[in-house]
Amino acid sequence: MNELPLLSLVTFLPVASILLLLSAEAAAAFGGVRLWPGLWRVTGLVSALLTFALSWLLWAGYDPTRVEFQFVEHAAWIPDLGIHYYAGIDGVSLLLILLTTALVPIVMIASWKEVTHSLPSWVFFLLLLETGMVGTFAALNLFQFYLFWELMLVPMAFVIGIWGGPRRIHAAVKFFLFTLVGSLLMLVAILVVVDLHERQFGAMTFDLVALPGSGGRALLDTVIPVAGAPWWQTQGWLFGAFALAFAIKIPLVPLHTWLPDAHVEAPTAGSVLLAAVLLKMGAYGFVRLALPLFPLASAELVPVFFGLALVGILYGALVAMVQTDVKKLVAYSSVAHLGFVVLGIFALNVEGLEGGILQMVNHGLSTGALFLLVGMLYERRHSREISEFGGIAKPMPVFAALFVIVVMSSIGVPMLNGFVGEFLILLGAFEVSPAVGATATLGVVLAAAAMLWMTRRVLFGPVEKPENRGLIDLDWRERGVLVVLLIPILWIGIHPETFLKRLHPSVLELLRVMEERAAATPEGAAGPESAGTAALWWPPEREAGG
Amino acid sequence: MIQAPDLEFAAVLPLLALAVGAFGVLVAELWLTARGTGPNRAGTALVGLSAAVLLFAGILAAQGFATGAAPSFNPAHPLIRLDRFANFATALVAGATLLACLLSNGYLQEKRLHHGEYYALLLLSAAGMALLVASVDLVSAFLGIELLSIPLYVLAGFDRGALRSNESSLKYFVLGSFASAILLYGMALVYGATGATHYGAIAAALDPTNRLAQIGVGLVIVGFTFKVAAVPFHQWAPDVYEGAPTSVTAFMATAVKIAAFVGLARIATEAFANVEGLRALFGALSAATMVIGSFMAVIQESVKRMLAYSSISHAGFLLVALAAGGDEAHAALLFYLAVYSVALLGVFAAIVSLAHRGQEAERFEDFDGLASIRPGLAAALALFLISLAGIPGTAGFFGKLLVILAAVRAEQLPLAILMALSSVVSLFYYLRLPVAMYMRPLRVRDHRERSDFLELGVLAACAVLVLWLGLAPNGLPALPGLHAVEWTRASAASLTQLP
Repeated sequence: MNELPLLSLVTFLPVASILLLLSAEAAAAFGGVRLWPGLWRVTGLVSALLTFALSWLLWAGYDPTRVEFQFVEHAAWIPDLGIHYYAGIDGVSLLLILLTTALVPIVMIASWKEVTHSLPSWVFFLLLLETGMVGTFAALNLFQFYLFWELMLVPMAFVIGIWGGPRRIHAAVKFFLFTLVGSLLMLVAILVVVDLHERQFGAMTFDLVALPGSGGRALLDTVIPVAGAPWWQTQGWLFGAFALAFAIKIPLVPLHTWLPDAHVEAPTAGSVLLAAVLLKMGAYGFVRLALPLFPLASAELVPVFFGLALVGILYGALVAMVQTDVKKLVAYSSVAHLGFVVLGIFALNVEGLEGGILQMVNHGLSTGALFLLVGMLYERRHSREISEFGGIAKPMPVFAALFVIVVMSSIGVPMLNGFVGEFLILLGAFEVSPAVGATATLGVVLAAAAMLWMTRRVLFGPVEKPENRGLIDLDWRERGVLVVLLIPILWIGIHPETFLKRLHPSVLELLRVMEERAAATPEGAAGPESAGTAALWWPPEREAGG
Repeated sequence: MIQAPDLEFAAVLPLLALAVGAFGVLVAELWLTARGTGPNRAGTALVGLSAAVLLFAGILAAQGFATGAAPSFNPAHPLIRLDRFANFATALVAGATLLACLLSNGYLQEKRLHHGEYYALLLLSAAGMALLVASVDLVSAFLGIELLSIPLYVLAGFDRGALRSNESSLKYFVLGSFASAILLYGMALVYGATGATHYGAIAAALDPTNRLAQIGVGLVIVGFTFKVAAVPFHQWAPDVYEGAPTSVTAFMATAVKIAAFVGLARIATEAFANVEGLRALFGALSAATMVIGSFMAVIQESVKRMLAYSSISHAGFLLVALAAGGDEAHAALLFYLAVYSVALLGVFAAIVSLAHRGQEAERFEDFDGLASIRPGLAAALALFLISLAGIPGTAGFFGKLLVILAAVRAEQLPLAILMALSSVVSLFYYLRLPVAMYMRPLRVRDHRERSDFLELGVLAACAVLVLWLGLAPNGLPALPGLHAVEWTRASAASLTQLP
């Protein structure tokens, strides 16, 4: 606390540079001077790189042996309502923040040629999006979480709507509305939890966990009943509201229909950030909020989520197989990958959770790289139809090599990142139910088949279309962008311990909190001391009746 | 000998300032015309004068709020009690009227409608609002409602040459008079049942099982519901909002709503507190209003009609606060009224600043590609619309949060959920303008190239307020004095303390 507020710097540096640029713009307009047109883009890139550098300091300063939140910052915001600026990270947020800050400069460089109009707005929305994403991962106050959570929607919708493909407006509005339905119901649920907390402890707070050393109470101390209360105060319904918001964001089948639209219409940078970071918000929400707040409801609904995850895995893989558009294919394979993430998380054991969280990062890297590659192809041929290609490996050998590596990483070939995540997830799933594990393994095969078939049709075989003969291979900018992404892909594949070491304490802590809260809930096996707070609010006969 | 009653003029100072100001404006116009000043320059001078009057009234209200006193004009027969609730509402009304006044200048010039009566009528209507919000008696409340309505009937038809404006005025007048009659009838029945017109006396004498009193209370609520444009008494709003000059619409959609809701909250808590089923009635009204308002707004093709229906659905959100009841909910009501008015005035400021040579930006197509020629205006307009839709980071979100929180606390979960879902629908129609401005190609349109500096001022002020109330409504370390949330709470706390 007494040193540099590093986490806030990482969060707000992008927005601060926006404000700086806007004031420069205003000053220039006032003085009648025209600013250099590249100013926004260059400043934006510098700011994104600086943010990335600062987030490395987070990585370096993070102590993987401690379980509590680190880099904690706490300041009064609207104290009457229990709203604080309360930021802190554990291993999960650390990895996701690093993924975010790494990808923003990468997509800025990657879209250097693709995006040429309305550059100031482009930089504005990307940087605003970055603050929204990092802020969500760093928030420990539910008001703050919600604020950043929805703050992301606006720039993303504009990125799709302004720079997207022909049906961009439809896609942008659909994306916005879908995610908002879930979010607003979650807001009501958040307020119910806050209200419950106030009834139990007499003070209002939106803090998820109490500030270390303050001895105060926070939302994770609230006893949320399973039954014997009005329906809207029970874990099942509250969990349902949270889960709906997160399931739309992930997205779980059948709530996924916004995803193919959004991905196909979005510009490359939008697709990459959407797939790599925004989809992770849902899974992150489960890990950070839904599981610890409602442990009994989550445990009870494991079969439902296993079912949805399996449907997602199989459906995503099968639908991906029949796509004729490369980008749509990658989008549907995302649905399958996210099914794996959900499967791992709801295994509710160490292997599954670690695998699920690591797979979130993996998917961000592999699918992000795939979208970049598809974007590079599109820039050259202005088509994404698989039938338009074939034999691309001949004119573009470097592209083909990188494409194959990324596809391998995506389908989980050993020594690359996808393998580690999928292996851990399957391990966790088999532990819970061998049947589920076996079905998911079938999904791995199907997803691999879809991707490999597409790779063969695009890259290999004879060059049939004359337009494809003269394709120019990747230039240094494009190669650089991809190679930067390959580093973590190989690193996670070869030495996952670097990352798992940071996840491990956080995952154990999550499981401990879930167990503790489950025990403290009246219907659970209530211990003598945990019944103390419960009895304040829940009359004893209800407890006994449970 | 008749003894002069002990009068406390402190209780009517803001009201007096507004009323005297209205006549001052009329006299000033005569004087300016006699000196041969051109209509535009005279108009600008009158805007300045009215703004000064409104600012003065606002400052008086703020001072009254700060001292926390609750003077009654005539303590022996208290018709008016200027407590914190009234002071806060008066300041809000003065603020909304001030912004409406400032954004009228350029618009009236473009429409060639610059006449001094306009500002006098605005001020008179605001005086009626100041009277209504401070009334603790049926008689003064009715007087307030009439004083706020009659100038509005004239203002709605201010564009004398335009058929639509005439229609709007006539419609508003006929339906408004009808609603006033119902209100008065209800008041008479309440008086018949309780023998009192003072709110406190009514509350003491009201027998909740008395049929006469129940019907009377119901009719009074109907009268107020008409003024706030809640379903099923909302049909006038879209036609009137569309036909009236846009600057008048801005005033009607904000200041009137503030005054009517504050008056309704006061009468419901201070006079009808023990009427059973009142909250359920508000709940039913709010559910119908939210749903019908939001869905009707989706299918509108005119921006002004869309805004009219959206303001109906906002009335539904405000009724949720009344259905929840209690200090917390009334604080939320005041906060929501403030943030709603600020954002909506901003939207109207943007629309009027596009009016050019009598043509107005009325259809969604008129906004296509606006961001490429007027980036600042488009950004501000998008900000206001996002605030109205209730996206976090803006004032509208915080207002919605407080109202939903009040509903959750009052265990009105169905209303809270319905409000959340209506907000999603509302995003659909609010997004249409940003989509048009940012995502569609520019159509050649005859927009004004530069806004009037007063319009720019209104836009900037509204943008600052939207961001302030959305991000730091309870003050920042740098601005320690600005505690909007606490102000609304202090106001609401003064409401139920009856002598």
